[in-house]
Amino acid sequence: MSAASLTSFGALHRLNAIVSFLLIAAAWQLVAVSGAVPAKYFPDIPAIASAFWSMLTSGELPGAELRTLTRALTGLAGASILGVGLAVLSDLSPVFRRGFAPVAALIQPIPPAALVPMAVFMLGLGPSLYAFIIILVTVWPPYFNGVAALAGVLGEQIRSGQMMALGRWQMLWQIKLPAALPEIFAGIRYASTISLIAVVVAEMLAGHDGLGFLLIRKAFAIRIPEVYALMFVCALNGILMTALIGLLRWQLTGWHMRMTEQPA
Amino acid sequence: MKAGLGKGAASGLIVPVAILLAWQALAWRAGTPLFPGPWQVALSIWKLWPVIVGQIGYTLMRAFAGFVVAAVLMIPLGILLGRLKTVGRLVEPMMDMLATLPPPAVVPIVMLFAGTGDIAKIVIIAYAAAVPLIMNTYEASKGLHVMANQVARSLRLTRLETMLHIDLPASLPMIATGLRLAIASALLVSVTSEMLLATNGIGVFIQRQQENFQIAGGLAAIAFISVIGLIINNLVFQLEKRWLFWHYRSSESHSDG
Repeated sequence: MSAASLTSFGALHRLNAIVSFLLIAAAWQLVAVSGAVPAKYFPDIPAIASAFWSMLTSGELPGAELRTLTRALTGLAGASILGVGLAVLSDLSPVFRRGFAPVAALIQPIPPAALVPMAVFMLGLGPSLYAFIIILVTVWPPYFNGVAALAGVLGEQIRSGQMMALGRWQMLWQIKLPAALPEIFAGIRYASTISLIAVVVAEMLAGHDGLGFLLIRKAFAIRIPEVYALMFVCALNGILMTALIGLLRWQLTGWHMRMTEQPA
Repeated sequence: MKAGLGKGAASGLIVPVAILLAWQALAWRAGTPLFPGPWQVALSIWKLWPVIVGQIGYTLMRAFAGFVVAAVLMIPLGILLGRLKTVGRLVEPMMDMLATLPPPAVVPIVMLFAGTGDIAKIVIIAYAAAVPLIMNTYEASKGLHVMANQVARSLRLTRLETMLHIDLPASLPMIATGLRLAIASALLVSVTSEMLLATNGIGVFIQRQQENFQIAGGLAAIAFISVIGLIINNLVFQLEKRWLFWHYRSSESHSDG
């Protein structure tokens, strides 16, 4: 369970990922070259790579990527803070918990795509539109996990806090929140994928800027290699986001991961 | 007991009512039909509900079709990959990568191959539902207890029998989680795909309302979607409790003991 075995585990996983990626690329190239699918719809790897490169050098892609990532990250941060805050509030006040539960149950199933057209009118095309949509769809995983985790803090832990005569806030800050953090992070990780989806959908429908808009514009211009390259960037964003969350989680709840993670 | 319940329900109403009042107050202050309050939305629901119900029918039908396609293909595939460890290890990073690709980003590509009709939308929905299904099934069948394997061997089950009688039931609790996520994303993507590939359905209805500046009508449709989502979620939860009672019972006794 030492750090060495942990890193070798990580390296093995990374090797697997690289092999798998190369296999996909090879299979893709084979299909493209064999001509089983019309080349117009299924370009080969060099074509996609050159499309990627030309979008990169023209500044089109970096600009859109920066906008999309900034929106997703700020939205996720806001949603996480709000979600945990609401969970804490629910934990402190049963009245709030009972009242907020039906509101959450009703808002949660609304697809972000359905909100975009209405929100464009109510909020315009500025940052508040994206903030509203991302927060409204990503606040739930941290909130639900937070409520469950805060309610599930072990009796022993609470009693040892009481024994040390901790006040209500000290108890929350020093015992309940740290104990709930691992589960909250699982919620935030899930929220991070939703936030990326919500941003891309909002951009596709708001039709103004960002990766989603670029994707739709290229698709309607029938620039197929560009579309595939953009899809690749979208998937890459997800990996980036997961890695970022993983890093933050390690910083904040490393003690818990070292305790429970069983490499090998 | 009854009085206590009534009091609980009354105090539970405080927050929703406060939120509705705040929304209404904001709408009054804005004073434009582009920012309707809950009252205007309620009026729109009253006026438009037959149309909305009809349009939601298309949306739900496609969501269901896509979901069934995904479930039929992905649950067996997930179990198979969990069995064939080497293949599974190679495919795993690929699944991780697909999982991070937002379903709407697939829309342009599907459009090329399948046009903009029902088939295209069902394909997109199936893709969206497939990701949580295969990941959960694969994880569950990969992490099966060694003992289960030994039981299978001592019973001389064939590979197919093992998968059917041992792997599948043992993975069911996690598959159920995958199913729940898959249903949610099928509904979500069903609406999204309609908005991008417009023909009919509730997504298109919302867009028409927007084009005619009928924001209250659009919000009325959203209210219907959210109620239907709530009903489906509850239904799934009830079914899960009925079919997986053994799992819940054992986990409950664990937490008690």
